[in-house]
Amino acid sequence: MKVVVTTRSGRELVKGGLELSDSATVADLQEAIHKRTKKYCPSRQRLTLPLPPGSKEKPTVLHYKKSLKEYTDGNVDTLTVVFKDLGPQVKYSTLFFWEYLGPLILFPIFYYYPVYRFFGYEGKRVIYPVQTYALYYWCFHYFKRIMETFFVHRFSHATSPLSNVFRNCAYYWSFGAFVAYYVNHPLYTPVNDLQMKIGFGFGLLCQIANFYCHILLRNLRGPDSGGGYQIPRGFLFNIVTCANYTTEIYQWLGFNIATQTVAGYIFMVVAASIMTNWALAKHRRLKKLFDGKEGRPRYPRRWVILPPFL
Amino acid sequence: MAGIFSIFRRIYLTIYNWTVFIGWLQVFYLSVKTLKESGHEHVYAAVEKPLLWAQSAAVLEILHGLIGLVRSPVSATLPQISSRLYVLWGILWSFPEIRTHFLVSSLVISWSITEIIRYSFFGLKEAFGSAPSWLLWLRYSTFLIMYPTGISSEVGLIYNALPFMKESSKYSIRMPNKWNFSFDYYYLALGILGVYVPGTPHLYGYMLGQRKKALAKAKSE
Repeated sequence: MKVVVTTRSGRELVKGGLELSDSATVADLQEAIHKRTKKYCPSRQRLTLPLPPGSKEKPTVLHYKKSLKEYTDGNVDTLTVVFKDLGPQVKYSTLFFWEYLGPLILFPIFYYYPVYRFFGYEGKRVIYPVQTYALYYWCFHYFKRIMETFFVHRFSHATSPLSNVFRNCAYYWSFGAFVAYYVNHPLYTPVNDLQMKIGFGFGLLCQIANFYCHILLRNLRGPDSGGGYQIPRGFLFNIVTCANYTTEIYQWLGFNIATQTVAGYIFMVVAASIMTNWALAKHRRLKKLFDGKEGRPRYPRRWVILPPFL
Repeated sequence: MAGIFSIFRRIYLTIYNWTVFIGWLQVFYLSVKTLKESGHEHVYAAVEKPLLWAQSAAVLEILHGLIGLVRSPVSATLPQISSRLYVLWGILWSFPEIRTHFLVSSLVISWSITEIIRYSFFGLKEAFGSAPSWLLWLRYSTFLIMYPTGISSEVGLIYNALPFMKESSKYSIRMPNKWNFSFDYYYLALGILGVYVPGTPHLYGYMLGQRKKALAKAKSE
């Protein structure tokens, strides 16, 4: 079949269109476009079906795995698609790696190096046990995240815009430095021993629970990930949709109970609000997809992210 | 139902705009009068009450935007009002030593001229449905001068208050403390001065764009 590729302003991106076999997939089309346009690799291409001008509907996005035939009207042997350039893209694993590397390196810098001299604090520094445990806890956390990125998480085909690398790194690295500055401060005041043990103990339990959540999520997706959604089940997922976020937030709570800094609490609240946004979107998406109609299961009643609040 | 709300909205906004208008009119009158009769050192003391009231009332405008009473986006009104409240409460009211500076005069005169025009413009629009074209012109033209004079005054006053912030450690939290937190009002002020650098051309450019749109629209009507 012939495929005509236009830009959103109506100009033909590929002069004369492309010739593809009738059984070709969207991925094949993206490869063909890449061959002709060099600059636009497949992950940069957002292909949609054209909408009548003035239409308020959301355009249908072509999914890379589907066959082109599914998007034609049946008898038509020409397909027109609208192209949008998403800009340079990076893999999610690349994005996550750079985000997590910052905090992993910054915290030890504040712990080991005499950085506080630049803030005007001279003289010897007394280091409390809680500060040493905090170093281990924090570094373990981000090391775990990097390991999970490469060995546990099954990412959908999606990529992320390159600009997100700068934005996300700014967030993680700034907050990392912010918390590290206060926990390792020469004038740091530790909490009592019991509170520290409760904090780190609880946090560690939550990190283990979080890891198990990630394993369960991984097993929802077959090795050939298609980004298809399933109802998460098992362990905490039976009562809360985004149990992985729940355990993540609670492990930061544990860290903060043990280290008691305003900076740490601010970080936790900001992280929790970001995750809550994601969780609401995911919960809504799952409820919409699993509506109980046409043989599909109905999404069970569950907390979204933080029982008993949301 | 919607009709009743619309009437109440109009009455409320009319009263609001004209009330704040009178506040700023007082500020302008008293500042010019005091400047002529007693000198710039006494201007703050003369205008303090109406100034604090009229400028603080602007917080309501954020609320108006949030609940949809007015069309202005919160993203535009919030930074504008925050900077005004910071300079007023965070600098002038907090550091009495700065109140005798001559920049206080240029500040309150720039602010009050701008606000007198703005509130009367909205006051007429809400009360009568439209405002005269000369007022529209004033609203979108006086900023060409008032923004530079006002912003220079703000930056100058913040800068001159810096030594007093450092010396008094006002609003600052020092370590050690049980929550392991610190806050330095002096460094916050430096940060805010830094924001003025890109913020000013951005805001001025935005207003130039608004001027073009508004005056072109008025011409075509």
